[in-house]
Amino acid sequence: MTWREWKKRLSEFLEIPNDVMLNLPRVVLMGNLQAFIENHRGILEYTPQIVRVGIEEGELEITGEKLILRNILPDEICVEGMIKTITFK
Amino acid sequence: MFLFRLMNFLVGYVTITIRGEAPEKFINMAAARGIFLWDIARPGEQTMRANVRLSAVRPLRHIARRTRCGFHITRRAGLPFLWMRLARRKALAFGAVLFVLGLYFLSSFVWTIEVTGNSRVPRKEILSVASAAGLNRGVPKWRLDCPAVERALKANLPAISWAGVYVKGTKVTIEVVEKTIPEKKNQSPAHIVAIKAGVIKEVLVFSGHAAAKEGDTVVPGQILISGIIPPSEEQKPEQPGSETHSEQPAPRQPTYVHAAGIVRARVWYEGYGEALLAETGKRFTGHRVTRVCMKIKGREIILAGPQKIPFLHYQTETSVKKPPPWRNLHLPVELVISKYYEVENYRLVRNRAEARRLAGERALHAVQKQLPQGARIVHKQLDELIVKEPESLVRVKAFVESLEEIGTEQPFTPGEESQNQVPAPPSQP
Repeated sequence: MTWREWKKRLSEFLEIPNDVMLNLPRVVLMGNLQAFIENHRGILEYTPQIVRVGIEEGELEITGEKLILRNILPDEICVEGMIKTITFK
Repeated sequence: MFLFRLMNFLVGYVTITIRGEAPEKFINMAAARGIFLWDIARPGEQTMRANVRLSAVRPLRHIARRTRCGFHITRRAGLPFLWMRLARRKALAFGAVLFVLGLYFLSSFVWTIEVTGNSRVPRKEILSVASAAGLNRGVPKWRLDCPAVERALKANLPAISWAGVYVKGTKVTIEVVEKTIPEKKNQSPAHIVAIKAGVIKEVLVFSGHAAAKEGDTVVPGQILISGIIPPSEEQKPEQPGSETHSEQPAPRQPTYVHAAGIVRARVWYEGYGEALLAETGKRFTGHRVTRVCMKIKGREIILAGPQKIPFLHYQTETSVKKPPPWRNLHLPVELVISKYYEVENYRLVRNRAEARRLAGERALHAVQKQLPQGARIVHKQLDELIVKEPESLVRVKAFVESLEEIGTEQPFTPGEESQNQVPAPPSQP
C-alpha cells in the first residue's frame, strides 16, 4: 500500500473531497468549447492543436482546433476552442 | 467578466508578441508571479501573442530575460493611450470643449416661439404682447419669466381666457384658449325668398308670415316667408281701446321681423351625358420612372434614374429646385427632378347597353354637381335621346326630382318694401 492510497482511504473515511487531499486537478468542461483546469502545475506545450498542462503526477493533454488560452492564473487555466480529446498521461 | 474588461480598458493594456525557444516557460513564469495574461494565441511556431495589463509590462522584461525570450508590443489599447493621443492634439481637445460650451451656451436662449390654440386672435398680436412682456426671439432663458408673460397675455388680450407659456429646450410654446363670444343674431327685417323654382312641399315658419303654402309653384326671388306681419284681426278691438284719445283709428301698422323658417320644395334638375360606342384615347399605364439630374451651367448630370426612358409614349412632370439667391448672387446649380409617366393608346368597344349605362352615370353625375348640400333625391329618370340617323354615340338625359330647402334670407328696409313687394310676389322675376 502506497502513501497515495493511504491518503485516498483517509479522505474517503473523513469524507474530504479527493482533489483537496490528493492535490488532483479539477477539470470543468463546457461542451467542447471551454475547459477550466484548476490546480495545475504550468503549461508544458502550447500550439493551436495541442495544449499540455502539467498536473500533480503527470500531465493533461488537450487536443483540438484553434485552441487559445483564454486566461492564466497561478492555479487556473482556461482553454478555449474546438476541443476533441482530453488525455491523462 | 464585463467588469474585468472595463477595468482593463481603464488601466490600459497592450498586446505583446513573444518570440523565443520556449514561450510556454515565459507564460508559466508570468503566471507564477501573478501576472495576469489573457487571450493567449499562437500565430506561428516561434511566436506567441498575449494581452497584458500596462502595469505588468515592466516585470515581464525581467521574466523575458530569465527565460531567454524576447517580446515587443504590437498593439496598445485603453484609456491611457487615448488620453495620450488627445494630449498630443491640443487643438482637438480645445475644440471639443469649445463645442460643448457653445452647445450649452446657445441652448440657453429662446430661438423659436410657437403659438397654438388661436383661431381668431392673430398670431402677430399675441407675439407683440409677449414681446412687450419680455419674450422675444434670442432672449436668454434665465431672464424669461413665464408666469409674468402669461399674466401679461391674459391682461392685454381680452379675447383670451387663458394663456400658458412653456419652455421646452430652445422653443417656447404659447398656448392660448380663446373666449367663445356668442354670435350676434341679425335682427334686421328680412324675408325668406326662394333661390330656385319649384313646388313647395312644406313650410315651417319660425318667425314671420307665411307667403307661400304647400303645393304652390314658386319662382326664384319670390317671397316665401314674409318679414312683414300684417296686423291681425284680434288686434282690432284692442287698438282703438288703447288709443282712446284719438277718435280716428290709426292706420294699422304691420310689424317687421327677421323672418326665419324652413321651406322645402320639390325641384327638378336636368343632366346630360353621353358615351361613345367605340372609344380611343390615351391613358396612363401606371408605370413611371424618376430621373434626378443636376444642372450645372447648362450641363446635365444624371444623379439617379435611367439614362434612356424605357417608354415609347410618356408624359413628363418636371420640378426644379434652385438654391436660394443671396443678394444678387445666383448659383448656376439646380436640381431637376423629372417624372416620366408612361401612356398608351387604347381602343375600347362597348355594346349599346354598356354605353347607355355609362352615359346614364355621367348624366346623373352632371346632375349631382348642381344639387346643393342637403338635397334628397326623390325620383330620377333616365331617357335615351334617339337621333334619326344612327351614330356611334349614346346620349342620355337624366331628370331628377329632389327635395331640398330653397329659402334664403333677404334683408329689406321696411318703408319701401311694404308697398311694392308684398302684394305682388309672382310679379318678381
